[in-house]
Amino acid sequence: MDTSKRRFLKGCGGVIAGVSVYSMTPQPLASNAVGDSEIKYAMLHDENLCIGCNACEDACREVNQVPVGVSRVNIIRTGPYGEYPEQSYRFSRHSCQHCEAAPCVKVCPTGAAYIDKDTGIVAVNEDRCVGCQYCIAACPYQIRFINPLTKVADKCDFCQQSQLTQGLQPACVLACPTEALVFGNLKDPNSALVKALKSKPTYRQKIDLGTRPKLFHVRTVDGEIVL
Amino acid sequence: MSAFHFDGLVWHWPIAIYLFLAGLSAGAVFFAIMLKHFKLAERAYLSPFVQAAAIIAPIAVCAGLGILVIDLTKPLAFWKILVFYNTSSVMSMGVLVLLVYQLVLFAWIGSVFSLPVIKWLDGRFHLLAKCLTLLARHEDVITGVLVILSLSLGAYTGFLLSALIGFPLLNNPVLPLLFLISGLSSGAAATLLGGVLMRGNPNGTEVKFIHRIEIPMILVEIMLLFTFFAGLILSGGQSQVAALNAIGEGFWGWIFWGGVVGVGLTLPLAFNLWMKVSSERKLTYVAVTASFSLLGVLLLRNFILYTGQMTGV
Ligand code: SF4
Ligand code: SF4
Ligand code: SF4
Repeated sequence: MDTSKRRFLKGCGGVIAGVSVYSMTPQPLASNAVGDSEIKYAMLHDENLCIGCNACEDACREVNQVPVGVSRVNIIRTGPYGEYPEQSYRFSRHSCQHCEAAPCVKVCPTGAAYIDKDTGIVAVNEDRCVGCQYCIAACPYQIRFINPLTKVADKCDFCQQSQLTQGLQPACVLACPTEALVFGNLKDPNSALVKALKSKPTYRQKIDLGTRPKLFHVRTVDGEIVL
Repeated sequence: MSAFHFDGLVWHWPIAIYLFLAGLSAGAVFFAIMLKHFKLAERAYLSPFVQAAAIIAPIAVCAGLGILVIDLTKPLAFWKILVFYNTSSVMSMGVLVLLVYQLVLFAWIGSVFSLPVIKWLDGRFHLLAKCLTLLARHEDVITGVLVILSLSLGAYTGFLLSALIGFPLLNNPVLPLLFLISGLSSGAAATLLGGVLMRGNPNGTEVKFIHRIEIPMILVEIMLLFTFFAGLILSGGQSQVAALNAIGEGFWGWIFWGGVVGVGLTLPLAFNLWMKVSSERKLTYVAVTASFSLLGVLLLRNFILYTGQMTGV
């Protein structure tokens, strides 16, 4: 009985030792610490300039071949506020926030959801995705979806695959008639983005969750103050 | 907003069943080991209850894994979860635990039933008999590893959901503990139910042993449920909204109070307390109590999964 007890404990000890060694091995792909590359892309949506024309949504759908029924970017309209004819709406952009500490990347079992170390873009490696939808449940902004054609997780990737490879700005930015969208490199102090961020008060959503999102918003003068 | 379809719902009932089956398997194994260690010793393989656990545990865990795979949008790509791992992902680590657990589980079953199987082989399949003898010789080590793995598996079912930071009801430190304990009690119930159906003595040592553990376990479960919801409500903000949405009026409120608390916890507890006084246990009594707790745990899994996704931060 005594030797058996000792061996029983040995077994337990073996498992614990194994686990502790395992947890020290380096993890592939999934890592939320972004390296010190020269580029870190971010976006600003100025709700005061936005007129809710939806040109950005349409351009995104076309350039990135997003099927009907799902979308990578939505302009959410709230209102109307005020009395006719002085009515106004509030428009806010709903799309991937490209979190620095991305919950989707953390939970993905295969590393299909990853942060591109060179640009800070949160993207999906389609070949690796198995469609477990863990990332969709984990994203606090609820902007991920399963692409009905490819059956893999999909979302805004700042046009990483389409526009950026050709040296162009993201499709939504180019389509916007009022220049409400500004895209650029956070690490470049002379970029239009950094200048805009420094000159206007902005907010980001749900920062208390520690996700460190990179989609900034300028709050509209329309609408009511919500407590 | 209907109970089964609402904005933000990502994971549906198959996931709840998967979590239920994984916890049940872990619990059945845990109790079979306890039975063997504390009561039956070498005669464990003769007990219909240990036999039932040895049948239920592998079937439940395999069925659970099967459901998980079918529920993927690309089931045929499942192997990628095994090849590409991500140490920060609860699902990735959980699948790893699940696989190792299955291996060790079969090794344990082999070692416990080595005696009758070798006798039955009667000199045939020499290699198989040799393997079984080897397993039997290392049974203590296998058992130790299996205890840890089964507890990890039980807790994993909770950690899987508590990693979802966008939902206050799921992202809760009590949840893994609650799922572990309720998983264990569902395993105990499955073992009892299977045992008596396999003509085990409803008044035997096994039933008395498990029932004796069951009362404190139900009390702990009630306490955990209370802590879970009291904690949420006291946190205020969206946590409070989420908790009151879940256990307040409506379909899921009924499921919680009637199904989880009433049928799953109160009735088995009442039966157990009542049985302490009068001694003779009947088959129907054991079967009905066990079915009630099984139903309660299954409802709890669905309740947490659905109400958890109802309220975001
Ligand atoms: S917004 Fe959602 S999908 Fe985008 S990086 Fe953050 S967690 Fe991931
Ligand atoms: S759905 Fe795809 S990207 Fe999302 S967590 Fe699962 S494997 Fe990763
Ligand atoms: S294209 Fe520009 S103005 Fe039009 S909805 Fe999009 S952000 Fe607003």
